[in-house]
Amino acid sequence: MHLSQHPELLETLAASYALGTLRGGARRRFETLAREQPAVRAAALLWQSHWAGLTELQAPVPPPAAVWTRIANRVAADRGVPQRNSRPVPPVRWWHSLGLWRGATGLGLAATAAAVVVALQLNGGMRATQLQMAGLKAELATVSAPQAGYVAVLRDDKAAAALLVTFDARAQQLQLQRVGGFEVPAGRSLQLWALPTGGKPRSLGVLADGRTQALPAQPAQVQDIPLLAISLEPLGGVPSEGGPTGPVLFTGEWIAHNG
Amino acid sequence: MPLPTSDAELVALIDRVALRDEAALRALYDCTAPRLFGLALRLLRRHDAAEDVLQESYLTVWRAAADYRASLSPPLAWLGLIVRSRALDALRRHASSRADRTQELDDSLGHTLEGDTPDPMDAADASEQAAALHQCLSRLELRQREVLSLAYLRDLSHSELAQQMALPLGTVKTWIRRGLVQLRGCMARYV
Repeated sequence: MHLSQHPELLETLAASYALGTLRGGARRRFETLAREQPAVRAAALLWQSHWAGLTELQAPVPPPAAVWTRIANRVAADRGVPQRNSRPVPPVRWWHSLGLWRGATGLGLAATAAAVVVALQLNGGMRATQLQMAGLKAELATVSAPQAGYVAVLRDDKAAAALLVTFDARAQQLQLQRVGGFEVPAGRSLQLWALPTGGKPRSLGVLADGRTQALPAQPAQVQDIPLLAISLEPLGGVPSEGGPTGPVLFTGEWIAHNG
Repeated sequence: MPLPTSDAELVALIDRVALRDEAALRALYDCTAPRLFGLALRLLRRHDAAEDVLQESYLTVWRAAADYRASLSPPLAWLGLIVRSRALDALRRHASSRADRTQELDDSLGHTLEGDTPDPMDAADASEQAAALHQCLSRLELRQREVLSLAYLRDLSHSELAQQMALPLGTVKTWIRRGLVQLRGCMARYV
């Protein structure tokens, strides 16, 4: 069944999936549909972020002062341990966990097993990236940008390519080319972000409807950026300062190359 | 009670914690601990267990703050998910050792439906998306809101909810179904 043609049913199923009350066979069937249909995946991610808001809505209660004392003692003890030993997180983990709206999986905290997360399949995904990169460079030669200094293929969690982004340094613009069939839900926009290492995500612009698009960009905006991402946002996008507010649907390495 | 802190200020504090800045951890704690302790209490219903979870949660923040940026989520939601996850771990440990203990963690769940408790929801310093959820949830009947909140916060199935809240299974299913339909319509307008 093409759930995206039944929006109310899709929303209700996505809401109960993300709530956690959709269980057993119904849950597995929904996950299968989510793997096949980006619109189903997007609905599930949106509801996961809606429900996560519940953790913010509980009435505050001041904790006893002793709690901070215990935390401070443990932190002081932690300081004695070399940092590498206390936090053996490989650097790849950073973008492995990138698409996880719920954020906690990288820490082993995926309590309700967000099975529809937009996680990149690291091993297979890396190989696929390298293979497709070769073909991509050939394709790029015909695309238009002789001096395209950077390129990224943005993919969803199944490593399916959705968008090709290149930077044309001479024209000072990003060229976007849609290669997948992702349909943006009504009343929403896709927004492109640069994700600098250790800095805030910065908006590069909101995607238009067409298959190709040019966004003005200064070289400084796209230098030293390891990753690009696309999030699902309210219609027209959100201000850059606040960062993405919706789920991240597509991510890709932003790779420098020479013409 | 600390003043509401903007998302940008919280993000700046988390960034400093990632650089092993203990003063930033203290400042983050001062801004967010009452909110997160309220959440832990709601999940666990017992002060000592909630204090333990709060302590573990801030230690997790201390060790994993560098991963925050990658989560791309609002800061309070990220912190809330850490507390929820730690609290669910505690509930599972409790469940597996229940043979020699009473069900004190579950005791008061049934009371949440009696209707004499004031609405515990508070969106004073919530992120935009949580504020929308708050608006939509507040249009539901209290009992529907309670069932949905507990289903999510405590990761409970229909039958677990029925058991813990001492309600017929059919009633729980009906409240959740109706609550979801109403929420769906409301959130579609807000988001």
